[in-house]
Amino acid sequence: MARPPRSALESPATVAAASDTPVLELRGITKRFPGVLANDHVDLDLRRGEVHALLGENGAGKSTLMNILYGLYRPDEGEILLNGKPAEFTSPHGAIAAGIGMVHQHFMLIPVMTVAENIVLASEPRRNGVLLDTAAAERRVRELAEQFSFHIDPHARVQDITVGQQQRVEILKALYRRADILILDEPTAVLTPQEAVELFEILRRLVADGMSVIFISHKLNEVLDIADRITVLRRGRKIDTIPREGATEAGLARMMVGREVLFRVDKQATTPGGRLLQVDDLHVRDERGLETVRGVSFDVRAGEIVAIAGVDGNGQTQLIDAITGLQKPDSGHVVVAGEDLTGGSAHSFLEHGVGHIPEDRHRRGLVLEFTLAENLVLHDYAKEPYATRGFLHPKRIVEAARGLLKEFDVRGGTPETRASALSGGNQQKVVVAREVARDPKVLIAAQPTRGLDVGAIEFVHRRLVEERNEGRAVLLVSLELDEVLSLADRILVIYEGQIVGQYDPSVSEEELGIAMTGGAREAVA
Amino acid sequence: MNTFAASMDRFRFGPRQVARLGIVLGILAFFFALPPIEARAYVVPLLVGLLGAACGIWAVTRGVGRIAWGAVTVGVLGIVLGVLATRSSGTHLHIVVSWGALVASTLVWATPLTFAAIGGMFSERSGVVNIGLEGMMLSGAFFGVLGADKFNSWAMGILVAAVAGGCFALLHAFFAIQLRADQIVGGTAINFLALGVTGYFFIQVYGDVGSPGNLPRIPNVNIPGLKHVTFLGDAFGQLNLMVWLSFVLLIVAHVVMFKTPIGLRIRAVGEHPRAAETVGISVYLIRYASVTLSGVLAALGGAYLAVGFVGSFNENMTAGRGFIALAALIFGNWRPFGAFAAALLFGASTALSFRLATYSDSAAVLFQALPYVLTLIAVAGVIGRSVPPASVGRPYSKQ
Repeated sequence: MARPPRSALESPATVAAASDTPVLELRGITKRFPGVLANDHVDLDLRRGEVHALLGENGAGKSTLMNILYGLYRPDEGEILLNGKPAEFTSPHGAIAAGIGMVHQHFMLIPVMTVAENIVLASEPRRNGVLLDTAAAERRVRELAEQFSFHIDPHARVQDITVGQQQRVEILKALYRRADILILDEPTAVLTPQEAVELFEILRRLVADGMSVIFISHKLNEVLDIADRITVLRRGRKIDTIPREGATEAGLARMMVGREVLFRVDKQATTPGGRLLQVDDLHVRDERGLETVRGVSFDVRAGEIVAIAGVDGNGQTQLIDAITGLQKPDSGHVVVAGEDLTGGSAHSFLEHGVGHIPEDRHRRGLVLEFTLAENLVLHDYAKEPYATRGFLHPKRIVEAARGLLKEFDVRGGTPETRASALSGGNQQKVVVAREVARDPKVLIAAQPTRGLDVGAIEFVHRRLVEERNEGRAVLLVSLELDEVLSLADRILVIYEGQIVGQYDPSVSEEELGIAMTGGAREAVA
Repeated sequence: MNTFAASMDRFRFGPRQVARLGIVLGILAFFFALPPIEARAYVVPLLVGLLGAACGIWAVTRGVGRIAWGAVTVGVLGIVLGVLATRSSGTHLHIVVSWGALVASTLVWATPLTFAAIGGMFSERSGVVNIGLEGMMLSGAFFGVLGADKFNSWAMGILVAAVAGGCFALLHAFFAIQLRADQIVGGTAINFLALGVTGYFFIQVYGDVGSPGNLPRIPNVNIPGLKHVTFLGDAFGQLNLMVWLSFVLLIVAHVVMFKTPIGLRIRAVGEHPRAAETVGISVYLIRYASVTLSGVLAALGGAYLAVGFVGSFNENMTAGRGFIALAALIFGNWRPFGAFAAALLFGASTALSFRLATYSDSAAVLFQALPYVLTLIAVAGVIGRSVPPASVGRPYSKQ
C-alpha cells in the first residue's frame, strides 16, 4: 500500500524551518468540567516534521487538550486549524479522517484479537464486498511494519506480545489510517528503558518521513532528548513554548511546577541507631512456584535509608511481600525491632510497627471506591479513637483525615472525596500519609514515586528523608537510579533474587548499572 | 522453526489424547449396549468402560487435570448406564432408543434454544447481557400465534413475532445502553413485562377458549427421496421449516460474527468499547443493533415453538427456555456452533425425558430436570472454562 507523499524530498530540518503554516494550530482552547477548568485558553502550533513536546504535571490538562483535538471531547471555546483551515471534530472518526492518529496512555487495543485485526478495525479490507479479508489485512500490516522497520507478527494475539510491541501496534494503527499527525500520550510510562530508546528511534524515523508528532510527557529528560520544541502547561494554562536549544531540566521544572524544584534532597549525615529490621537468609517463591528470592540477608538500622536497587523482576516484589507479611517465605527470618515475625500475617507486621507504601497504589495502596477518610483509617479503623466496641465514629475519622490531608498537602479532594477522583501524585500522598502517620518503626517504600511528576516526587522524597531523620528505619526499593542515589545512605543491589553488592551513595551510576545487570556477581562472590 | 515444533506438539499422542480416548471409550461402553448393536452380556460395557476409566486414571497420574477426571467420570457412567441397558427388556430399549426418531425429537427441542442462543450471542458479544431472552421468546410465541391467526398466514405470524421481539429488545437496549441501567435487572424486568403483556392480550383476545385450533402452522419440509432410508428418513425426512432455517442461521451467524468486518466490530465493542470508539466505531449503534437482533432471533425461536411445533399458545409456554438458551450460549463459549452443540445436548435430554416414561413415570419427571442440572454445571464452568466478552454487562459512557 503506497502512502501519500509527505514532502519526502525535503529534509526534516528545512521543513521545520521553512513552512510557515503550521500543520495544526489550536487557538484559545477552553474546556470546563464540573468544578475544574481543565484547559484555559490554550494555544499550540505544530510544525510539519517536528516533535513538539507537551509538558506538564499530572492534572495540568495535557490529556484533556489532546482528547479535544482527537474529537473525544468538545471544547467550550476556541478553534482548531488544520493546515490553516478551521476544523471541528465531533468524534474520533473526523480526527482520523483528517490524518490525526493518537496513541493513548492506556492502550486502546483488544487483547484477545490479533495484531492485524486491531490495526484494521473499522477500516477493514474486504473480500467480495462483505467478507473480512484477513489475509490482505495481515499482508498490509506486514508491509507497513517493514516500511518502518518494526518487528511485529501480524498474526499474534495482542495479549501475547510485550508492552513495547503493543505500543508499536498503536503506532501502526495510526500509520495504517494514513495519519500525518501523531499524538503520543505519555508513551514511555509503561516502557522499559530499552523499549523507550527503541520508541525514540521509531519516532525519529517517522519525523524524517514528514510526520509531525505531539509528545505528551512529564519526564524532563526524555522531553529534552526527543523534542524540537516544548510547550509547558500548568493547571490548564499554557506557560510558554520554547525550543529545545537552551532548555534545561531545572528551567523546565520551574515552568511546570511554578517554583524551584530540588532534584537532590538535602540530607544531613546521621548516625544510625539499633537494628530495626533484620532479614536473614530469606527464600521466597512467586505464584508460579519459582524461587525468586534466594537467600537474602540485610539489616536496616534506625535513622538510615537503605535502598535496594535492581532491574524490575529480580525478586523485589516477593522480597517486599515477605517482609510485610503478605506472603510466607519458604525459609529464613524477618525480625522487626528484635521480634521474629517470620510467617506472621500482614496484620501482625502492621501491629509491630511496619509501614508499607506498596508499589501498586491502585491494587494495594488504596481502595479506590472508598473516600479519602476511609482510606486513611484502613489500618486503625477498629481502634480508639476511630471506633468503640465495634462501632465506627465517622466524625472522628473525617476530622483526623482533614488534618492529614492538610499536613501532607493532598490537593483535589476533601475527606469525603473518593480516592479514584484524585490524580496519581495526590493518591500517593494519601498512601504516604496513612503509613507515616501511624508512626512506624520500619517504613518500607516500594517504588514510591512511580508515575509521579516532579513536584510530587520532591514531596515524597523529602518526606522519606524526614522519617529517616526522626529515627525510623527506611527501606526503599526502587528501579530509578536517580532516586536511589539521592536518598540512600546504603545501597544494596539485587540481581536474580540475591544481594550482589553493597555500595556507598557516592558510587557512580555506571558501576551500579553494571551491578544491576549481573556484572558484579562474580566480584562479590 | 517454533511453529513447526508447535505443530509437531499438537499431533503427539500424549496423556491429554489418552484422556480423550478414555472419554470416547466411556461413551462406547454405553453405546454397545444399545440398539442396533445391543450387546446383552453385561461384561461388554463393563470392560469397555473400565478401559476408558483406566485411560482417565493414567492421564490423571500424568498431571492432566480436568479432561482426565472427565474420562474417569464418563467411563464409570458408561458402565452404569451400559449394564442397566443390558438388564432392561429389549422392547423397552427399542421404544426409547430408536435413533432416527430420537435425533428428530432432539432437533425439535433444540431449535427454539438455537434461535435464542444465537440471538443472545449477538447481544452479549456486543457487551450487553440479555437475560430478557426468555421474555422476548415468549412474546415471539404469543405474537406469532396472534399474527398467524389474524392474517391467516404463518409467514405473517413469523413477521409479527420478529417485530414484537425486536420491540422488547429495543426497550431492553434503551435501558441498558442509553440509561446505563443494570442489565440483569433490566432483563428481568423485560421477562416479567413480557409475561404480563402476553398473558393480558391472550385473555383479552382469546378469553377462555384458547388460541384457535385451525391456526396456520409453519409447514414441515418433506424430503421425498429420504423417506424410506433407515435412520436418515426418520431423523431428517420431515423436519419443520424452522429447523432447517436454524441450520442456515447457524452458518450465517458464524460467518457474520467471525468472517466479516461487522462481526469484528461487534466483538471489538464487546471487548473494549473505548478502543472501538477511538477508531471511529459507534458503540451505541452497534449495541442497539445487536440487542435488537437478539430479540428478533429469540422471538423466532418462540414463534417456532408456538406456531411451528405446538400449534397454539398458552401462558408462559416458553417455561424457562430463554434461560436455557442463555446457558447454551455460555456452554458454547459465545460461539454459534458451540451454542448449537449445547442446544442439542439440552434438546436431547428433553427428548429422552419423554421417552423414559416407558420405564417409570416418576423417573421421567425427575429426568426432565436434567437440562436444568446441565445448565447449572455449564454456568459453573465445570466442563471447560468459558471466557465471556471482556466488557459484557458493563454500561459504556462516552466521556
